[in-house]
Amino acid sequence: HKVHDTDIISTVEFNYSGELLATGDKGGRVVIFQHEQESKNRPHLRGEYNVYSTFQSHEPEFDYLKSLEIEEKINKIRWLPQQNAAHFLLSTNDKTIKLWKISERDKRAEGYNLKDEDGRLRDPFRITSLRVPVLMPMDLMVEASPRRIFANAHTYHINSISVNSDHETYLSADDLRINLWHLEITDRSFNIVDIKPANMEELTEVITAAECHPHQCNVFVYSSSKGTIRLCDMRAAALCDRHSKFFEEPEDPSSRSFFSEIISSISDVKFSHSGRYMMTRDYLSVKVWDLNMENRPVETYQVHEYLRSKLCSLYENDCIFDKFECCWNGSDSAIMTGSYNNFFRMFDRNTRRDITLEASRESSKPRATLKPRKVSTGGKRKKDEISVDSLDFNKKILHTAWHPKDNVIAVAATNNLYIFQDKIN
Amino acid sequence: MLGRGVKRKWSCLEEAEVVSEARQLVLGLCLEKLQRYQAGVELSLRRSVLLINTLRQIQEEMRSDGVGSCDVHPDSCLLRDDFREDVTVTCPGCSEGESPPELPSQEANGSDQQKPPAAVSDAVNAMGYLGDLALDDIFEDIDTSMYETSDLPSAWASGSLPQSHSTAGSLQSCLMDLNELDHIMEILVVETHLVGPGLQNGFSL
Repeated sequence: HKVHDTDIISTVEFNYSGELLATGDKGGRVVIFQHEQESKNRPHLRGEYNVYSTFQSHEPEFDYLKSLEIEEKINKIRWLPQQNAAHFLLSTNDKTIKLWKISERDKRAEGYNLKDEDGRLRDPFRITSLRVPVLMPMDLMVEASPRRIFANAHTYHINSISVNSDHETYLSADDLRINLWHLEITDRSFNIVDIKPANMEELTEVITAAECHPHQCNVFVYSSSKGTIRLCDMRAAALCDRHSKFFEEPEDPSSRSFFSEIISSISDVKFSHSGRYMMTRDYLSVKVWDLNMENRPVETYQVHEYLRSKLCSLYENDCIFDKFECCWNGSDSAIMTGSYNNFFRMFDRNTRRDITLEASRESSKPRATLKPRKVSTGGKRKKDEISVDSLDFNKKILHTAWHPKDNVIAVAATNNLYIFQDKIN
Repeated sequence: MLGRGVKRKWSCLEEAEVVSEARQLVLGLCLEKLQRYQAGVELSLRRSVLLINTLRQIQEEMRSDGVGSCDVHPDSCLLRDDFREDVTVTCPGCSEGESPPELPSQEANGSDQQKPPAAVSDAVNAMGYLGDLALDDIFEDIDTSMYETSDLPSAWASGSLPQSHSTAGSLQSCLMDLNELDHIMEILVVETHLVGPGLQNGFSL
């Protein structure tokens, strides 16, 4: 099967209720899935997710000044909390953020007497009676329309957007700067972090991810390519170049290598739903931090430690630069992240148990149970185990999402989206 | 007949050479990745920064290890399987006042061994310079929209400034004496042998 580059899924996100699931792809398209009601004859199964809306969010652009193409790939989607019948989401590529309104139309007004049969407007003087149109049902139509376009505020590539808990503002982060926007105002944004040095030759660190605190609208965090996280308070100053908290784990000198910095680079940072913890993903591990403890994480989970001895090859084939995301479950009791060979990992924080699962057609028949997978690290490979050298590094799971309430997960494997659910007893 | 003292020298030797070999490999890969250029697509700043930091780290290690006096000659040795036997090496741990250990079958590599150690330290300096140049080119082009994105190798090959540069500034430092240019090209060609063909895109000698 030829996989078209443009079909590669680049972001996955549930909305606040979990009813909708949005995906963005390399071709600039957004596909939204909706959870169907449970069927009455099969109450033991959750409903399925079916396509609800598809639209082209971003188009490729050309920067004439730099002679460079601006990719239409959707880097991130973030939903707004629902306030009325319509749904709103923010989608962004490298340079431009757009606010989309997704609304349903299932009625049509009929009975206007303002137009002729052929559609031409009648002369007002010739209309002699007042006729009130009647709403008639029609086939459900889901429309997506761009309501705001937030452009020209980022010189570098946008890696994150995050909606604030005040539901009025949001932040966008690129390699060197973070901007704060008001959802209603598109021609202006506030720059709240700027780490660009006066002399670019002194640049040694970039911003890799940023997120707003889920409850405190003045607090946000951003992570760096050097494996550090800074927590900032917007009340302290207009420009948050000085952090309130600085999170960094001291390096283990025994594991130092040429690639130490590259693998320490944080690819994703996510607050827990409670707001008490945050989770970071670096190349080999996931770390949970208590916001009150800056000098080391409270929990560390190894995602694929067997890759540590392969770092040189992974550097050679560029895989070492892959950016994996991570996510919490609704109750913050479990975390999930992706790996190679279409494997993804889930860790239970309470029992400390972990599981490796595979997202592939062969192992995912509808209604079948996923079988745990194992990578053999020692010399002897057991039956059903896969050796490190057999792993397919082109099959990477970079994007995963967990339903905010239920045990439903969405896993993006290249151009395929897998949705897995827990059996209800 | 090897005494205990000579055995110690050997393991010290091997360790230094393994590290040095690994360093050369990663150095070569660093350079290759930094020079890779895809027309019309902007370089990832994160990737460039991580590569350059790795490059700097290797340069630091090479400098602090006194690489000028202790290293294999890149050209001859890494092409051979048994390079350890062919080259005179002193590693810092062993060489206080001692003469280099006697090695079997030395005569084959006579001409290479005659090369003064200065050539290697020149290579290190060139690497440092190259690192700065790579920085100049990559960051200058991303930062200010006054400059066209210029392909470093092709700029050297043509020997001229890209047209859109409006200031002499730090990019002027990209233009060097022809002598230095040749010297660096030489070192880079040496490096291509380490990592295989394919690096020669854009180079014309």
